Order: sequence, then structure tokens, then C-alpha cells
Amino acid sequence: MKRAALLLLAAIALIAGVWAAFAPRPGHPPLASLPAVPVPAGNPMSEDKLRLGRMLFFDPRLSGDASTSCASCHVPQLGWTHNDALAPGYPGHRLWRNNPTVLNAAHYTRLMWDGTLDSLEVQARSAMQAPVEGNGKATMVEMRLRLVPEYVALFRQAFGTEWPQLDHAWQAIAAFERTLVSDPQQVPFDRHLAGDTAALSEAARRGLALFEGKAGCIQCHHGALATDEGFHALGVPRQPLYDSHPLVQIAVRWQNVQRDVPQAVYRGLEEDLGRYYRTREPADIGKFRTPTLRELKYTAPYMHNGAIATLRDVVDFFDAGGGSAPNKSPLLKPLGLSDGEKSDLVAFLESLSMERPLIVEAPVLPPTLPLDGGGEQCEPPVKGRT
Amino acid sequence: MKPLLRALGVALLAGFIAPAAAGDMRLQPLPPPAPVNAAQVELGRHLFFETRLSGDGSRSCASCHVPDKGFADGQPLSRGYNGTEHFRNAPGLLSVRLKSRLMWDGRHAGGDLAGVVREMVLDAQFMNGEARIVAERIRQIPPLFALWLRAFGGQGGGEKSELRGEQAFLAIAEYLKTLDFAETAVDRALRGEAALPPLAEEGQRLFAGKAGCVQCHHGPLFSDGKPHRLGVPEHPAIAREPLRTISLLRHHAERGLPQPMAERSDVGAYAVSKNPAERGSFITPPLRGLAHTGPYMHNGRLASLEEVVDFHGRGGGPGSVLRPLDLSARERQALVAFLLALSAPLAPVAEPPAYDYGSVGGGRR
Repeated sequence: MKRAALLLLAAIALIAGVWAAFAPRPGHPPLASLPAVPVPAGNPMSEDKLRLGRMLFFDPRLSGDASTSCASCHVPQLGWTHNDALAPGYPGHRLWRNNPTVLNAAHYTRLMWDGTLDSLEVQARSAMQAPVEGNGKATMVEMRLRLVPEYVALFRQAFGTEWPQLDHAWQAIAAFERTLVSDPQQVPFDRHLAGDTAALSEAARRGLALFEGKAGCIQCHHGALATDEGFHALGVPRQPLYDSHPLVQIAVRWQNVQRDVPQAVYRGLEEDLGRYYRTREPADIGKFRTPTLRELKYTAPYMHNGAIATLRDVVDFFDAGGGSAPNKSPLLKPLGLSDGEKSDLVAFLESLSMERPLIVEAPVLPPTLPLDGGGEQCEPPVKGRT
Repeated sequence: MKPLLRALGVALLAGFIAPAAAGDMRLQPLPPPAPVNAAQVELGRHLFFETRLSGDGSRSCASCHVPDKGFADGQPLSRGYNGTEHFRNAPGLLSVRLKSRLMWDGRHAGGDLAGVVREMVLDAQFMNGEARIVAERIRQIPPLFALWLRAFGGQGGGEKSELRGEQAFLAIAEYLKTLDFAETAVDRALRGEAALPPLAEEGQRLFAGKAGCVQCHHGPLFSDGKPHRLGVPEHPAIAREPLRTISLLRHHAERGLPQPMAERSDVGAYAVSKNPAERGSFITPPLRGLAHTGPYMHNGRLASLEEVVDFHGRGGGPGSVLRPLDLSARERQALVAFLLALSAPLAPVAEPPAYDYGSVGGGRR
């Protein structure tokens, strides 16, 4: 009798434990519309700054050989990211990760797949100076800006300096990026939240119910950005280019060296260790930050390495309980979704994107001119490489 | 009168050339070749022509140091990295191992060839590369990786040994040590083996005597390795072409000049020493191989050796430390003939084959 009671208690404890581990956490915030864009005190918005930032975002002169602008990898027409799983980056290179969209990046509290950067200002600098992305050495790029008279005037108006200073360029770009956010009027799900009962299709409504219920997506994808901004290992399939593309292999090794991972660790491994780079905890190997689900319609392919091509494939991947990875999240388990349920989930995911993509046309870039007037005009770069 | 002058000339010449008599100011034949590490030279020879040392994989050392042009580039002002234009003339590299200061402003000590190579590969103006990317790219090019293993993989080597970008710079420096000027008619004359043709011989006497060239141009390279201000006019392209202005002002900013935006002309060695007396001065270049490395001066402003001799004969330009020489047309010709006798035909340089990237294979091979 006593023994049976103990067994019962143990079973209850076990079930409770399993429940605690796998049940949706009640604490997470609900899906919501985006609040106003947070603006850091050190970089207030201004008209001049935005005009300048928009030009700089498209200006390849910020890169080492004047070939590559922010917009080369964050292409407005491609969802402010790139449709290559691994974007080309700077000439002679290939990136090792799928580059995230700029859309709504202003709402993240930490940036990058491994959460290593915490402001758009720092990210802009980091990307334009990284040898594989912009490769622009600070002193050269800063002096280039100083021989563009229109920039000299705009920097002066926006920042009050006699000559352009590079740190202000990153501030201007960050300010511009803070304007690249979803318009809730155009996002069906946001209209739904605002009380428009016709905003979501039947399929999307069923998808929402699955998202918050049976499929359990809400466990990590919640709040206004539909992300917990946490780090999880899903066992995303290995990006095949890691095993076949010389430039990708160079990039993967270099990124590891760059992060001071001892050669003994990464040689022969040649993988992206994710959050581990920041924490150095073996338990964080293979974990990546949960991405926002907003504007997914325009930002394929998916996952940190771009290994999954379509939203339907993403849903299939989660339905199968993810892949295999040493530190795989216990939240993932086979879901047993029907074909119809998968379609419903895709319909819901698409309702988190604007009906028409947000596109900003590349501005006409101001020319580089001799310092004291006269002399030859240097052809302005027409457009960033795309 | 004439015999007296000639006697004086011979005496002066003897003073300058005789080994023991005049200390520093001697014209000297080339020394024997430098001892080198053959495996490193072979790697360095390949890397010298390897464009993947540069950031965007487009420029090699040989892009601006062309073997057929005495390892200079034949342009007044060199091109530099993509998206930039340089503000100085690319110097030739033959016998660069013998220079006592390197670069027109002397910012590297002679002998620190690896230091110069490092600057060239990494700096935004030249190749805009990154040392660790250089290392990983070499690893991805199997024939180069094999050469690297032979050159540096000795100590506990094997496939997993550390490949450092710095070793690429060392290997190129080792290769540079093998690039020597060929022996010239002047070397043979200095050793007393064969006389120079009469005009060149007259030029040599002027060089060491009346024209006084030898005051700065002596030793085996015909250079004192010191900075001097000759008042060479600015190259107008530096103000006219904004990409060149950018490079010049950026150089001044990098060197820590207090008012970099106000320094619109090349301040030369001053940017390095911060000694106001050196403003606008440049390191004396070698005079060997000039037949192959025009145009001349730090900014390529003088197109021919005739112009160079005329310029020196006039006492240089504004602010020059030179004095007018009052040379006759014949004397100027003789000096040019002597300068040309300091060049020998260039030895052919075989460019190594271009190798493709291979696949190194991932962890799940």
C-alpha cells in the first residue's frame, strides 16, 4: 500500500517535472504589435541625420575598395537581406551565416545570430569594417567622406563638426535603420490585434491557434517581435556550402580564429559554434538567437545558415522535432501536424509580414570632388553591388 | 687650364672612389648575394604574385612592382588598392635588401623587409588585406599550402600546424632578398676590370666631382639612405584628383600630423620624424637600374633622366638644399650616360602558375 502510494507520488512528480519542462511557460508575453522604435539617448533622430544615413547606407565608398555598401547584402528589394543562403559579402569572400534583415532590427535588444552586438551603431561599424563584409579601414573611409562636399555639409548640419567623423556615419546609418520597421497598418496580424476581424484569413486564424497551442511555437516566438531573444540549438541541417565552397570554408575557419577559438578546437570541426563564442560555455555550442518572425515573407532563405529554403520547409523541420544537435532544446519534439495544419501555420506566419514590402529606393549619391574646387570630378558610384 | 682641371677631377675622383681614402662617400660595386632560406624564397616567390593576399583578391605585390619594369610600375603616381589612388611613385625593388631606410619617407628601417611587406599587405592604401585571412586562404590553396609546409612546417609540422599570416610576410621578404641588380659596366670599372665608354667615364668624373652627386649618391646602391629636400614640384594630380588627395591627407592623419586637413602637400620624412627641418624631404633613391624605373622622384614628376639631371643642375626647386651647378649640355649628357651605365638588362622573372582554391573539407568528411 505504502509502496504503491510512493510509486504514485513518484509518478506524479515525474509527470509534473516533464510538464514543467515541456509545457508552454505561462510567463511569456503574448504576441503584440510593435511599440514605438526605441531611440538611444546618445543618438536622437533628426531630419538631417536620416537623409545622411539613407545615403550612407547605399554608399559603397564606406567599403575598402568602394564596391560594397550596406545595401549590397541588405538589399531593400530582397527584404533588406539577401536571397543567397550565404551572401557574397566583400569581393573575394563569402559570408558564413545568413545575413539577417534590417527590418525591425531596431527593436532587438541584442543583434547578430550569436547576440554579440547590442546596438545598431556598433553593428554598422562592425559590418563595414569586418574584412569579409565591408573591409573599410577607418582612416581611409573617413577621409573619403571628407572629400564629398555634400557629406561635409550634411555632417555639419547633423552633428556640428567641421569635417565628417566616422563614428557619426554609424550613428546616421543607425538612425536610418530605425525607420525601417513594419507599418502595423499593413501587417494583417497587427490589424487583427487592433480589432479588425477581417484581417486574418480563416487559414491564418487556424494557424494562430496552432502557433499558440499544439505547435508550441509561442514558447520561443512571443512578444512584439515574436522572439524571446534567447538562444536555442535546433539541430538545423548543416549548410552544404560548408563542405563544398572554398570561400565559405575560409570564412568559417577565419570566423573561428577571429573569435579566438584555439585552432586545436576548430580545426577539423569547421562549424559555427553560435552562442558559445560569447559565453565559452560548452552547453551553448550550436545555440543561436531566436529570430523575429516579422517580415518572413520577404527574407527567405531561413535559419542562421540559410539552410532551409521556404517557410513550408521551416514548418516541416519543426514538425519533425528539429534536427540533431548536442545541446538541442528540449522544447522541440515531433508535432504530428497534418498537411492542412502546416499550411495554416504558413498562412499565419505570412500574416506577420506587410502586404507590400517596405522598399527605399537607392538615393543619388553625391560626388567626390577636389578639396578646393576645380580639378576633376570623380565619378560617383552609381549603385551598390547587389 | 684644361689639364689642370682634369688633374683636379682625377684627384677628386680618386678621393671619392679609392676604397680607403674617403670613408663613406665611395662608389662601391654590388656585394655578393645574400644568404637565404630556399624553401621560404620559393613560397615568397609564389606569394609575391598572389592576388589573394589582398582584401578583395585582386592585387598582388607584382601589380605595382612589375618585374619587367625593374619592379616599379612605370607610372608617375602609383595606383594602389581598388577604390584608391596613391600619391607617390612606386619604387623599384631590386637590391632593396641593401637600402638603409625603406619607403620614400624612410618610415621603415633598412633590413625590415618583412615589416614593409606587412604594411603593404595590410594597409588600406595598398592591398587592404588581413593577416589571418591570408593564412586561411593559403591553407585553401593546396600547392601553396605544400610550399608553406616546406618553408615553415618543420617544427612539429604536419597538416594541423599553425599557419600564421606573418609567415607570408617573412617569405616574401626572403624572396625580395634574392632580387638583386645585375652587374653593370660601372661595377667592372670600379673593380678596375674594364673602362667605361668615354662619355660615361666623363660622367663618372662629374658625378664624383663638379656635379657633386656623390655627396648623397654613394655606396653600393648610390644612395646615402637619408632624407633631403630638393623642392621637386608637387604633382598636380594630387590636388586635382580627389582619390589622391584622400590618400595623402589620410596618410598625414595616420601619421599623427596635428592639422591633417591643412597639410595639402606631401610633407615627406617630416610625417615620420616630426622634425620640421625634414618637411618636404625624401630619402635619396638608389641610382642603379634607372633605365627601367622611370618616371623619377618621389612623385614621378620628372619623366626622363635628362630632366632629372637638368633639375639637379638648376639646383632643384623651391626650398632645395641643392645649389646650381652650371653644367654644360655636354656635361649633362655625360652624366646621363654614366647613369645609364648603372643599368644592366633585367633578368627575366618567371611568374609562378596561378593555382585554384581547393576544398579543404569540413569536419564531417
